[in-house]
Amino acid sequence: MRPGLEHFLIFSAMLFCFGLYGLLTRRNLVAMLLCVELVLNAAALNFVAFHRFLFRGDPAGAVFPILIIAVAAAEAAVALAIVIALFRHRRNLDVRAANTLKG
Amino acid sequence: MILETVAFWIIGAYTLAAAYFVVSARNLFRCAVGLAAVLIGIAGLYLIMDAQFLSAVQVAVYVGGVVVLVVFAVLMVEDVTQKEFLRSPLSRCILAAVVAEVLLAIVCGALLSQGFGSARPEPAAAHVDAIGRALLSTGPGGFVLPFEVISLVLVAAPVGAVTVAGRPADVDKDEKED
Repeated sequence: MRPGLEHFLIFSAMLFCFGLYGLLTRRNLVAMLLCVELVLNAAALNFVAFHRFLFRGDPAGAVFPILIIAVAAAEAAVALAIVIALFRHRRNLDVRAANTLKG
Repeated sequence: MILETVAFWIIGAYTLAAAYFVVSARNLFRCAVGLAAVLIGIAGLYLIMDAQFLSAVQVAVYVGGVVVLVVFAVLMVEDVTQKEFLRSPLSRCILAAVVAEVLLAIVCGALLSQGFGSARPEPAAAHVDAIGRALLSTGPGGFVLPFEVISLVLVAAPVGAVTVAGRPADVDKDEKED
């Protein structure tokens, strides 16, 4: 069967649910960041699928994934800086150990 | 046509397997490698959808930038050769799986009830010249403001990252006292 819009949408829904499952079960900060990346990619894939199959190649659907990728890169930089600062203070990346705002 | 179909199913299965590896591996370094595999698979799906430019951006920025950054951070903070991180209790894993499954069922039901499969226009994709014009156009349908805002974000994020992860102030003070 030739892949159509609904194939790509269901695929990205599955990817999103994998990311959600990981976010709910992981307790390591870096592993949670990787799951966020899965979720972001599922969203970007949806944009591209709609742009190709439903909107006749409207460039908006191709611009938004670029913005998503840029935001994900900025987010990864800041989150990993926080990870390094947290590790320096606590020697531990378990999110449950980092439940205070004291330095 | 047939090539497109075969490629979709193979790449889709490969990407979902890699995504499962990302959420289930017990070693941070392996998680990061699994994420690289997922991102390359998604770049392949972009290629199937005729989005060559996005596919290139995905590989260059995501796999070449974000994953490498994650790998560096992992190597800095963990002893990857032996340390496995804590896992959640089994009850929490089951609960999370049920939540994810229910969400998937709801989303799939909503998608399939929309009838996207019928009466759709012929597939077409924006090529790189259309994307570039849209990004820099100030008229209707133009994205020059998001483009400028994202460039500000991309300047602010590394500055913030250096501020947060840079050397603590007390280290500098100690060195001056010496």
